[in-house]
Amino acid sequence: MVDAAGSAPVQAQVARGTSLRSMLAATEIDLRLFGMLIALGAILLGFHIMSGGTFIQPANMVTLAVQASGVAIMATGMVLIIVSRNIDLSVGSIVGVCAMSYALLMTDWLPAVGIDLSNPFQWLIALGLGLALGAFIGGFQGFLIAYIGIPSFIVTLGGLLSLRGSVWLLSSGAAVSGLQPDFRKIGGGVSGSVGDIVTWALAALACLAIIGLIFYNRRQRQRFGFPLRPRWAEILLGVVGCGISIGVAAFANANYWPRGLATQYALEHGITEPPGGLQIPVGFPWPILLVLGVTVVMTFLATRRRFGRYVYAYGGNPDAAELAAINTRWTIMKTFILMGVLAAIAGAIGSARLNGSTLDVGQSDELYVIAAAVVGGTSFAGGIGTIPGAVLGAFVMQSLAYGLSYNGVNSPTQNVVAGIVLILAVAFDTFNRRRGGGS
Amino acid sequence: MRIPKLAAVMATCAIVLAACQPSASAEPSAGASAAAGGECIVGVSWNNFQQPRWAATDKPNMQETIEAGGGTFIDADANLDSVQQLTDVENLINQGANVLVMLAQDNQAILPALETAKDAGIPVIAYDRLIEDPDILYVTFDNIGVGRAEAEAMFERVPEGNYVLIKGDPGDPNASTFLPQGWDEAGLADKVASGEITIVADQFTDAWSTQTAQDNMEAIIDAANADGVQIDAVLAENDSTALGVVAALQAKNYDIVPVSGQDGDPANLQNVAAGLQYVDVWKNSNELGKVAGQAALDLCAGAAMADLAIPDGLIDSSVAPAAGLGVQDFETPNGTTVKSFILQPTPITADNLDLVIDGGWITQEELCANVTDSPPAACQ
Repeated sequence: MVDAAGSAPVQAQVARGTSLRSMLAATEIDLRLFGMLIALGAILLGFHIMSGGTFIQPANMVTLAVQASGVAIMATGMVLIIVSRNIDLSVGSIVGVCAMSYALLMTDWLPAVGIDLSNPFQWLIALGLGLALGAFIGGFQGFLIAYIGIPSFIVTLGGLLSLRGSVWLLSSGAAVSGLQPDFRKIGGGVSGSVGDIVTWALAALACLAIIGLIFYNRRQRQRFGFPLRPRWAEILLGVVGCGISIGVAAFANANYWPRGLATQYALEHGITEPPGGLQIPVGFPWPILLVLGVTVVMTFLATRRRFGRYVYAYGGNPDAAELAAINTRWTIMKTFILMGVLAAIAGAIGSARLNGSTLDVGQSDELYVIAAAVVGGTSFAGGIGTIPGAVLGAFVMQSLAYGLSYNGVNSPTQNVVAGIVLILAVAFDTFNRRRGGGS
Repeated sequence: MRIPKLAAVMATCAIVLAACQPSASAEPSAGASAAAGGECIVGVSWNNFQQPRWAATDKPNMQETIEAGGGTFIDADANLDSVQQLTDVENLINQGANVLVMLAQDNQAILPALETAKDAGIPVIAYDRLIEDPDILYVTFDNIGVGRAEAEAMFERVPEGNYVLIKGDPGDPNASTFLPQGWDEAGLADKVASGEITIVADQFTDAWSTQTAQDNMEAIIDAANADGVQIDAVLAENDSTALGVVAALQAKNYDIVPVSGQDGDPANLQNVAAGLQYVDVWKNSNELGKVAGQAALDLCAGAAMADLAIPDGLIDSSVAPAAGLGVQDFETPNGTTVKSFILQPTPITADNLDLVIDGGWITQEELCANVTDSPPAACQ
């Protein structure tokens, strides 16, 4: 019996060795994630056809990604919050408070203590203070939730209201504009992008990292006697991973400076313009690099660090986690501190993009962030959810908004579609899980 | 156990919120003691002082006009609370007000206060916001005229070409009906029909959100670029959306095409000064305060509502009602006919920015904060 049970899966694998599903299984790719990528591709393709073939091109995809960046960054934190059976409704308001703080720090408060816009470190000081503010707000709410025991729904609902009110009180109801040019680079655009050389270098780095990780992973598995991926699967993963990094970089570099700006640059640098106009690649904009960086760091935190494992352990079974001597309170509080910092980063992108701040920056972001996490496969039952899934979820949601807007569909219709997709995505996921659990 | 906790949180929230309110709330002004004698006492009930404009421009102009005419000015701020406003109105009547000016928090909830006033034989001026009642005097700006002024200014600058329309929240009648009606009165529909103007995109903005306007405008620019279409002008309904449009033009390094707006928000006036927004239609509320103050004095003196008129020289001629200085009939959306003074909004461009400085709306220093090169006359 023991022998039969042990050999059966191997036989089954051999028998279905040629099916796509088993090949995918051999590469150990997350099928949910793979499915979402396909869905995202289908959505983009749909809009491409709807627009008569103009939608999928570098400039548009960069806009889409930049617009999704704030929500994507926050969604990575929301995953951990929801996984540990909490919710954070205050993120949109934290974005608002932080965005307004950056704007006021740069235009009002720092100049008042002698650090004005011409000081090259002003934006860094403002950014640092804003991030600290985000961490403080998140930490305070986390403290109330973890140590005092007030439900997170209530604490963050209070945060949603009172922080939005604070935005008003901070600015006396007025919009603020005129930020430092260096700070505005956080928001992307031509000047807020890294250019072609850095973009290529980053792609090469990503490629090396992927290959390195595959080798490291294989060695570790060998060392501890874990089953190995077939060699062809390792090679496939490496090739596809590298291909995607380089492809994305090439795509970003195929986005050129606007004609007028390029002409001006040519004039200033004494370059004679070629007939087609000077083509200067834009490369990756900062907000997209921030999304990539945050995704990598958060994935590492969630899957490779003790903190992340504790979060999932707590989410899977709070009592068991507590009994296993995990400091659950401090773990929960840390998820909220992290969320606050991520919201502050999103606030920096938002205010940099606006070149200022209005009263409604971040308004109803909490809903999009939660939606992105849920579309990305995070379960409200706790314990389940991945960081890359949530980031993809954010891109799915924003691609709908951007695509519909691009094709001239009005905002009420956009909301209808976004709502339906949210429900469909979760319904599909629930259905899949039930089926998966049954087999 | 959860419910008491929740209640405690709510109570704490309420206390904290209450503590944050401006201390000036609901505190009747000092005029109460001067109520003796048969003089004219004008009671003003504001729905809020949170929006800076009321305390900064409306109130001082109304007060000055009333006091210059020998009247007494008393007021109360209801702090966005329609129940508080009912109490405020009763207090104002008890303090001997002969005329009431009301900026209603809610045009339905205010009706009991209106009844109290009418029972006491006190005439009521509905200030800036309509109260549906045939016996009131309605003093406001021409909201359709705002749209007309936006479009007229833009057509003068860009008579033909590709226009983008950025509208506000689809649920707000101003966004979906009144402002577009003003645009059409200025000739938008005709110019589209004759082919002088092509509408490249026409988009609403949920909740008048600046970020949403920016996201939409970026998508519109991308689509126009993909189609090889040059956008020549953007008709944005108000300032919050105009701010998003300008941010999108900058983010995309697009030409800074003429953009419209309304409200006279400081950030937008700064953009007008910096050459980033072409026109900002401004409601000069200084003048609105004067008109209400003068009307209150006249009503005090026993004039009938139908005989009221704005005296020559009281207000700047640029805001004078299109229909003339005499009181006019105004038909409300519910079909009630009320007496009204409906002032004209003022389009502000780089050429007449001095108006907003002279009007005390914004200081020159603030207005010109972001001006780098080629400052407009008002900043020199």
